[in-house]
Amino acid sequence: MDTPEQAALREAVRDFCRKQSGPGAWDRLTGELGLTGLAVPECYGGSGAGLAEVAVAVEETGRVLLPAPYLSTALAGAVLGEDGGEPAGGAAAGFLPGIASGALRAAFVFGDSVQVTDGRLAGVARHVLDGAEAGLFVVRAGEALFAVRAADAVVTPAGTLDETRSQATVEFHGAPCARVGCPAGRAEDLLRVLLAVESAGAAAHCLDVTVGYLKTRVQFGRPIGTFQALRHRCADLAVEVTSARSTAYAAVRAAVSSSTGSPASAVSAAAAELAVLGPLAKRHCADVFWHAAAEMIQLHGGIGFTWEHEAHRYLKRAKTSQLLHGTPAELRRLVSQRAGLS
Amino acid sequence: MTDEEFRAEVRGWLAARLASAEFACLAGKGGTGRAHEFVAERMAWERRLGADGWIGLGWPEDDGGRGLPWRRQVIFYEEYARADAPGRVGHIGEQLVAPTLLTFGTPEQKARFLPGIAAGTELWCQGYSEPGAGSDLAGLRTRAALRDGEWHVDGQKIWTSLAHVADWCFLLARTSADAERHRGLSCLLVPVRQPGVEIRPIRQITGTAEFNEVFFDDARTDAGNVAGEPGDGWRVALGMLGVERGVSNLGQLIGFQREFESVLAAARGNGSIADPDIAGRIADAWTGLQVLRFTTEEVLGTAAPDPVAGGAAANVVKLMWTSWHQRLGELAVDVIGPDAMLAGPEYDLSDTQRLFLFSRAETIFGGSNEIQRNIVAERGLGLPRG
Ligand SMILES: Cc1cc2nc3c(=O)[nH]c(=O)nc-3n(C[C@H](O)[C@H](O)[C@H](O)COP(=O)(O)OP(=O)(O)OC[C@H]3O[C@@H](n4cnc5c(N)ncnc54)[C@H](O)[C@@H]3O)c2cc1C
Repeated sequence: MDTPEQAALREAVRDFCRKQSGPGAWDRLTGELGLTGLAVPECYGGSGAGLAEVAVAVEETGRVLLPAPYLSTALAGAVLGEDGGEPAGGAAAGFLPGIASGALRAAFVFGDSVQVTDGRLAGVARHVLDGAEAGLFVVRAGEALFAVRAADAVVTPAGTLDETRSQATVEFHGAPCARVGCPAGRAEDLLRVLLAVESAGAAAHCLDVTVGYLKTRVQFGRPIGTFQALRHRCADLAVEVTSARSTAYAAVRAAVSSSTGSPASAVSAAAAELAVLGPLAKRHCADVFWHAAAEMIQLHGGIGFTWEHEAHRYLKRAKTSQLLHGTPAELRRLVSQRAGLS
Repeated sequence: MTDEEFRAEVRGWLAARLASAEFACLAGKGGTGRAHEFVAERMAWERRLGADGWIGLGWPEDDGGRGLPWRRQVIFYEEYARADAPGRVGHIGEQLVAPTLLTFGTPEQKARFLPGIAAGTELWCQGYSEPGAGSDLAGLRTRAALRDGEWHVDGQKIWTSLAHVADWCFLLARTSADAERHRGLSCLLVPVRQPGVEIRPIRQITGTAEFNEVFFDDARTDAGNVAGEPGDGWRVALGMLGVERGVSNLGQLIGFQREFESVLAAARGNGSIADPDIAGRIADAWTGLQVLRFTTEEVLGTAAPDPVAGGAAANVVKLMWTSWHQRLGELAVDVIGPDAMLAGPEYDLSDTQRLFLFSRAETIFGGSNEIQRNIVAERGLGLPRG
């Protein structure tokens, strides 16, 4: 359940998403609404809220597939923000003001293809989400995380199936980098949590639109929503979408309780929980999203197959969300390992 | 007292009682599909629960309850499941009849019936389903007519769980012939042990008999034994179905966790966990249980209507837990492998086999999953009626 502040934030983002379009959107999202600074400490120009608030914004922007690198940038604010207490001169001080203002967009590089030697990064990463427009890369090398300017990397944007968000191939050839305190594993799990939240929001939208269509489309002399074969499929989706949202927010709670601002006594238990719930929630929510998007097309008939209808964008987003940062099969194994089920 | 102190009290009480000579035979008999065992001992157990104040935890104190908040009630159910305490024989009285009387009953009815339920001395069964009226409950044909200050009941009920041990039946009957289907029904409180009532057990899939056919041939009950107004039985009968479920749904998650752990232990024990299919399904079952827990807590634990499930949150949860539990039963059998094909003497079944078989009923009783989907579609999503 949202706090009153979160509910107000949700309403503001929803309102923005209803009206947004075109290139000015990013400026309003970051300026007026300050969404990229939600988890950035106030001393760096953010609002010092936290991951729970970022999640609210991600759910709402996910609902409309907002074509902006919001998720990665807001997460970078949270991840670097966890170093907020460190002396000036670290990665936090250098990048956080830009993230908070929206001038700097970020992307994450996980996987094990990048190495660090003598403070410099080398390696090539593909499928870097939100990579094409990023000015900052937060990169895993070993178990640690490093911040690198895009100017110090070679970035090749890739054409994408899901045109609502970019991907890039990013090469590092001895790029200078600054150490980030947040462990790489934690950062990747946080990214999974946000992908889960985003998927839950988008899946809810697929269901809403489909139910709306079933109420108005008439065949055989009655609304097709009266056909039980379709009603039951919607009911099953309602069960799944409800469960996706509950699961995503359970993961968000683990993310919040394990962040540096939380009471130390609770942090280590919550960190262990996050390690399980990150992959668990991402797998569950992306699978639910996929199912909702696939049903959205099927239950719309021919119109659902057209380029004009929004359904295909959801289907493409859903598939890429399943494949990013752990396929369903990989995450299933990860959950099994981390929950000690083997 | 804090919640944790309350938890400790419940846990201590259960441990002590289940270790006592009288009830030791019931320890560890809480598993799925064991409701037919040790019936006399379980009736005594019900009276013990009542005497020590563990029935009616949430009822108002003025009505003989303890007025405990929701959270404490959940704690009681959790500890009950954790202790593997025996399946209740008094749950229909406590969870269906009492809430109905608390909402619709007269002061006289509450004074007459609540003490027996709270003490565990009067047991109830639920007489809704009939041979011709299952999912389509409004099609029921059992009739009751008021003559000489008494209701006279004629007809037949079926699948009536625990009728063979019950003192009273919470009966849905047609009391006015000409009204349309949903109207003209009334909820009657009918004594079971009388000449006009005949009970025949029906053997279930597990080989044991827990439910019955109940025949009414000029059975009688006092004119005052109608819950709510005569003719308002549809609302009264269905109004309470979801009310107390939240508490037991949350409590039963602990039981599910224990069942999952025993499946995992079995898979490790016989090495079947090395099979990638079994290992994957175990990960899925565990994942599903977490998802079920988060969802149950979220949609039943908050007062506000859920943004997706809307007014059908309880139905969403029922669809989820019954399907999950059924999958667990299937997994449990596959983990055991070929030995799961064998039954003991007199068809004595293992816990795994009981889970496997009994979980088939859960998607049927209390509104089948197809009916639940209809309700979610209509009440939750607002789709037009079929
Ligand atoms: C173990 C157990 C204990 C029970 N205990 C009790 C009890 O104590 N008291 C009591 O009154 N009843 C009890 N019941 C009965 C239970 O409530 C009914 O079995 C249930 O309501 C289904 O009715 P039915 O068996 O007549 O099946 P039917 O209603 O005939 O259903 C048969 C199939 O048709 C489907 N179906 C029916 N209508 C529709 C529809 N509109 N759309 C789509 N599909 C539909 C059903 O989902 C089901 O799959 C118990 C049942 C079981 C299994």
